[in-house]
Amino acid sequence: MNKRMERERITKPVRPQEDGGDLIDEGPRRPQIERPGNDDILERMKRVDPNQAKRYRQRTGQ
Amino acid sequence: MRRLCGIETEYGIQVQCSENLDVVTESMELIRCYEKQEFVARWDYSLENPRLDMRGFEVEKLRNDQDELEHLQADRRQKIPIEDLKSDLMICNGARLYNDHTHPEFSTPECRDLFELVAYDRAGGRILSHCADLRTESRGDGMVKLYKNNTDFHGHSYGTHENFLIQRRIDFDLVVSALIPFVVTRQIYAGAGKVGIEQDTKNESATYQISQRSDFFDVICSVDTMQNRPLINSRDEPHANSEFWRRLHIIIGDANMCEWATALKVGTLSLVIDLLEDGCVPSLKFDDPILALKSISKDISCSWPVLMEDGRYYSAIEIQNFYFETARSEYAGRDNETDWLLSEWSRALNSLADNHHSLIGFCDWITKKWLLDEFADTEGLDWEREEDLAWLQSQDLQYHDIDPLEGLSSILESQGKMERLVSDDDVKNAIIFPPLDTRAYFRGRVVSRFSPYIRFLNWDMIEFDVDGNTRKVDLKNCLSIESARAYNLAIDSAKNINDLLGQIDSLSRDSVERGEN
Repeated sequence: MNKRMERERITKPVRPQEDGGDLIDEGPRRPQIERPGNDDILERMKRVDPNQAKRYRQRTGQ
Repeated sequence: MRRLCGIETEYGIQVQCSENLDVVTESMELIRCYEKQEFVARWDYSLENPRLDMRGFEVEKLRNDQDELEHLQADRRQKIPIEDLKSDLMICNGARLYNDHTHPEFSTPECRDLFELVAYDRAGGRILSHCADLRTESRGDGMVKLYKNNTDFHGHSYGTHENFLIQRRIDFDLVVSALIPFVVTRQIYAGAGKVGIEQDTKNESATYQISQRSDFFDVICSVDTMQNRPLINSRDEPHANSEFWRRLHIIIGDANMCEWATALKVGTLSLVIDLLEDGCVPSLKFDDPILALKSISKDISCSWPVLMEDGRYYSAIEIQNFYFETARSEYAGRDNETDWLLSEWSRALNSLADNHHSLIGFCDWITKKWLLDEFADTEGLDWEREEDLAWLQSQDLQYHDIDPLEGLSSILESQGKMERLVSDDDVKNAIIFPPLDTRAYFRGRVVSRFSPYIRFLNWDMIEFDVDGNTRKVDLKNCLSIESARAYNLAIDSAKNINDLLGQIDSLSRDSVERGEN
């Protein structure tokens, strides 16, 4: 059999269930962030050309 | 998922520091960077007819806006053959890679597994990012940039379409009426977010919308995709046995950078189609679906009231809850994927009702708005000031840059701030290998093993030229897991092209005897 056929499927994140089968609402799982951080990304954003979107022109697609 | 499914994404293309870019040539050349050898046109367009309508008629021509008509006239003067222009490729992972209306497009292979589909969607971005690097190198001037978004902020939109194989026996009018309330409200968790407003600007203002595409939809149902876009597209191109199957071509969705949003966008709709096929989809009717679509998109307060045909108001969250509760009562416990979907759908609706910021890193429109607000605070920008808004709009575009080192969403992901559903190894595998359990495996492996023999191909047919003899492999009925497995074992075990075609002949004879064709 082909090696790929033997490969396990992508692991799916599975949410736990109560015994009765009802889904547990664990509440929100916000990423551990308060601010972007996060200076890296804010510094990168400072370098974005303020007129980049003004110049951005595309043709209509589907 | 209970059905085959795929995502097509048209990317925006730009070359930095290049005036008067010829996007026709640029997009064509970018696609050709994928192949090491010279491009050979092999896509069979005779098997496609985008003018055929599910409602049983064919339109004379598809609508185009005035801008595009003028572009097309200019294109004709270049006299580039359509086959060269489109540069259609079927690649080794079973995906289609081509130039669609000057937008490099990646169409994932058919998938059955939701997380696998997410991996292929991500793989498409990686493949095209690599092509952009190669094209930048070959141009020698100006960096080629690609954006996974749906607007140029100046009134031109390009699509991210989802495709679902559904049973032909379901009356198409019912498909339309059942799905409209769902697709109109799905943007509350699947929207990619947009700075600004592009159409219907009379008496309306919005500095930020939750959806990129909602400005561009004007009618309930039609076969068109480029102008007067419909909530439900009626193009009848099943790429399967048309006696039994439709391909539901959903064009209203946004391009998502968040894997979670991609999964929820596709997965929840797949569950709603399950309800439709099982005869238990909720019956809801909006007073004005187009107005509802646009007003929800422009309401970032998350209240989203929608007027129903009977005069009552429901919020978009309540509308989604009708579908969610029905799906939960029907399908909870069916399989791991369904349970994950139900759980995350529930989380999305509860979070949107209580504290939408808890979906940062999950929903694109919320993640992007949070990032832009932080930037505006840091830089002292005012959303109401025109020049400040222009810079924020540029940040919006940068969020969708698919360069892994430059795109803002990629940087957030590298910092661990975006929810991941698939690993980098899953994405690397998806760049090279086709899905194991659909006909895409057969097609992708044929491209890898027997490419010199392929004369023409499309999603559901491969025509070979073997020693001057034409041989066709029809994949229109290769849709079930069992059928795909048989074809896929044949391609893996075939010693040569003649052996493969002999095995396929034998499979076809068996299926005829079983009455499957």
